[in-house]
Amino acid sequence: MRRPGLAVRLAARNLRRRPGQALLLLLTPTIATGVLGVALSLYGSADEPWNRTWRATEGFHVAFTVYHPPDEAGDRALVDTLRRRATQLTGAPGVVAVGGPRSHLYGSIRLAGGTEDLTAEVRDPGPYQVDQPLVTSGRWLGEGGGVVLESGLAATLRAGPGDTVTIQGRPFPVRGVAQTVSRGRFPLSRPAQVWVTPETARQLRALGMTEEGFELQLRLADPARAADFAAAHRSLEAVPSSSSVVPYLETWQQRRSESHSDIDILAGTLFAAGTLIAILAVATASVLIAGRMAAQIRQVGTLKAVGVTPRQVMLVLLVEHLAVAAAATAVGLGIGRLLAPPIAATSVTLLGRPEPPPLTVTRVLIVAAVAVAVVLLGTVRPALRGIRQSTLRSLAAGPRPPRHPGRLAGLAARAGMPLPGVLGLRSAWRRPGRLATNATGLALGVAMIVVALALRDSVELLQLRPPEPGHAASDAAVAVLYDQIRAVIFGTAGLLLVLATINAWIVATFAARDAARNQAVLRAVGATPRQTVIALIVSQLAACAIAVALGIPLGLGLWRLMEGGDLPEVHLSATSLVLLAAAVPVAFAVIVSVPARLLARQPVAPLLAYE
Amino acid sequence: MDLEVEAGEAVSVMGPSGCGKSTLLHLLGGLERPDAGELYLGGVRVDGLSETRWAVFRRRNVGFVFQAFHLVDELTAVENVELPALLVGGSRRAARRRAMELLDRLGVAGRAGHLPDRLSGGEQQRVAVARALVNEPLVLLADEPTGNLDSRATGEILRLFGELGQAGQALLTVTHDARVASTADRLLTMRDGAIVAQTRLGAGTSVAGLLASLADLAGER
Amino acid sequence: MRDVILSLLAKEPAHGYELRQRLVHALGPAGGALNPGQVYVTLSRLERAGLVEAREVAQPSQPDKKVYELTASGLERVVEWFNDLTWSKVAPLEFHLKLVAAAATRLADPVALVDSQRLELLRELRQLQELALREPPDSDGALLLEGASLRLQADIRWLEVCRQRFVEREATR
Repeated sequence: MRRPGLAVRLAARNLRRRPGQALLLLLTPTIATGVLGVALSLYGSADEPWNRTWRATEGFHVAFTVYHPPDEAGDRALVDTLRRRATQLTGAPGVVAVGGPRSHLYGSIRLAGGTEDLTAEVRDPGPYQVDQPLVTSGRWLGEGGGVVLESGLAATLRAGPGDTVTIQGRPFPVRGVAQTVSRGRFPLSRPAQVWVTPETARQLRALGMTEEGFELQLRLADPARAADFAAAHRSLEAVPSSSSVVPYLETWQQRRSESHSDIDILAGTLFAAGTLIAILAVATASVLIAGRMAAQIRQVGTLKAVGVTPRQVMLVLLVEHLAVAAAATAVGLGIGRLLAPPIAATSVTLLGRPEPPPLTVTRVLIVAAVAVAVVLLGTVRPALRGIRQSTLRSLAAGPRPPRHPGRLAGLAARAGMPLPGVLGLRSAWRRPGRLATNATGLALGVAMIVVALALRDSVELLQLRPPEPGHAASDAAVAVLYDQIRAVIFGTAGLLLVLATINAWIVATFAARDAARNQAVLRAVGATPRQTVIALIVSQLAACAIAVALGIPLGLGLWRLMEGGDLPEVHLSATSLVLLAAAVPVAFAVIVSVPARLLARQPVAPLLAYE
Repeated sequence: MDLEVEAGEAVSVMGPSGCGKSTLLHLLGGLERPDAGELYLGGVRVDGLSETRWAVFRRRNVGFVFQAFHLVDELTAVENVELPALLVGGSRRAARRRAMELLDRLGVAGRAGHLPDRLSGGEQQRVAVARALVNEPLVLLADEPTGNLDSRATGEILRLFGELGQAGQALLTVTHDARVASTADRLLTMRDGAIVAQTRLGAGTSVAGLLASLADLAGER
Repeated sequence: MRDVILSLLAKEPAHGYELRQRLVHALGPAGGALNPGQVYVTLSRLERAGLVEAREVAQPSQPDKKVYELTASGLERVVEWFNDLTWSKVAPLEFHLKLVAAAATRLADPVALVDSQRLELLRELRQLQELALREPPDSDGALLLEGASLRLQADIRWLEVCRQRFVEREATR
């Protein structure tokens, strides 16, 4: 195009002329990009604090852990073999520091409301080349006995230095609290952990704690080569399948990625929610843009008449919508960086202040892709239709005439439906394309509500499961996570309802504008304002009825795909579905009645004047 | 202004554009509200009626014909015509029958099942007239009925209005086409929102003009 | 009139009465006002000019009839007439001069003149409409009437323009 500036100026003018519409057009993809932005910023926001602790504690690069169940005597020989293999590993090339092997004892600790599984790691007196836990209060192990609590455990117990904890039924003084990256934080990472001296360990064995395994930790010359190192020594994990001993080799990156399951789950939920919202945003944007198109089609026609080619016209539209998409991307990413830290801070697994991960090109592209998709997919169909229309038609800017008289409305009329209803149905059938789009958008909204209801029921069931013995505290922590997820689900459902309402409102408003002339004619012929309002509402309800009929099975189908795994099976009761099927049209009719009534109040005469 | 239209009288209103003749029509049909004054239709005072009451009154007693035809474009011709009859509450069958009768009388019965966009301008206007007449209204209000029509269709409408006038339908036509205006019994001239002249258009000097042309023809050679 | 009669003979020879019938038919409602003798006068003039020639035709129980026929120059004249583009009376010259004179002499109000002339034209137009109602829609007569009424409409429109112009002139005086 010879004058690209012209396209930009036209686009800017279009957007400025109707700020309300432009704002709605911006809001629609932004709701989706906002949620996705939070999800992307949340994911990995715990990495930096983990890294800091890892550096501060001389964290491991590769860990070789062996678990064995306490009662299997036959495994003792195997365990000894593994210990020897571990010792050989310490001499492997690339290793610069060694920690352990350190023994792990298995027992229980008392928490409010019950007992919890406990691991006690036996530590010789320091200093340690690998994993010097970061003491956050009190002192590290030393003369005078006592145990050092892992920080998550200390937080759950609300215990600090000087307090007493009950292990194996006996009180032990708390000497200090420390952080480590060798384990995830309690209670989301189980079992609970304390560190003890060899003397205390003897006491614990006497009280009944059993040897559970050991862990060897290594630091390499180049931490980035940890994965290669682990791959090279994969043979250490080989044990006969009949044995119940579990050895495994893990890198620091792996341990880090497993340490924050609550944040990961939350981020994942938000990402799924964002996807659902994005889908509905496409439908809503499509409706918004179709409405704007109808208003802009005159401009298109005029431009074409003046000699601007269809390609140049498309360019103007593209500029407008890409500007909106760019803004939505920026705002979405901004919201993400803003909201992710406070959300992450509610996590129980954090080792420090959360930091949103740096903006990689990938993250930006994902959000931008969603924004562009929402805006462009909504643009395609109306734009093509607008460009293909003949110039004269565009200038006349009337709605497209119907292709053939609707048969359904004829049936309805014969069945005795009142006249305004019949007229409404006729009007709905006039634009099958639009009817389909509106119905799809609403159906998605209904489907999401169904999924949300099923999810809520399922999560309730999960919570009702009797807690396993020895997991009281962690179950409570998990319950917090469920609450968060439920909040996300309901937040999503709420946002979806907002989008669906915007959708319904826009559709109704533009339908009312389109119908204005016909409504004026009806009034001239003697229809009361109330009758014209009813006709408009009925015409919109046609889409709603289709939406409910499609949306409920769609939602049930989606749920069927999602359940399984951890989510228990749920069958939504027929009553709740019937209630939903009744409530949606009612709510919809209420929303639609507002623009309908506003239209009916307009004076009729100007619409009937000859232009 | 003061205006009276008798039952069965055909009146036309002429005037330049902007003089308010369309507004007058709208006022008479209740599509616009007078700021002051009284309006009686068929003996009933209507100027203060609510929108709803006006609509009910209008469907039975007033028929509108517009320059732009204004047929409901998603209804077929016969459905458009029977619309006022259905609004009044008649049975569907009776309404359909009456609609077909009118379409037949106006010569468009063959197009009854078509949508408006398949009809020519003249046909659309005849359908609009049928719609206006379906409930035997007190008065037919026409706003530039031939404004959008070609000469053949204009001729048809002229013929139609002439017949309607002779048949005793009260007609008020607003127009700036002198041929349409002259079909009326009484002609009002409007300027700047007021009626400035009223005349009865009785018998003129019959074919005086034609004879004058003949005389010219004869005298030339 | 002469060219008209000539053209009517171009189709086939005819005698006076037949010609008159054809003419009346073509004129529709205006035909009734045609002077009966006009046709015969024109025919004899044409004969003298050498454009038609007459023949006597014997009839069994009636006096001989004169049958007229086109000559070669008559036919030439008809073709010339068909190709002639002269149009009769485009502008209402007399009324225009009347208005100008009224404004100049101030013996009559031009606006009042326009108003009354307009009403008279409207009455004529109404008469034409009534006549048109009686003619079948696609007949020649209906066509002629439509021509006449369109002319009247144009004249009425011109009168409205005249009125506006003279009102403006009064205002600026």
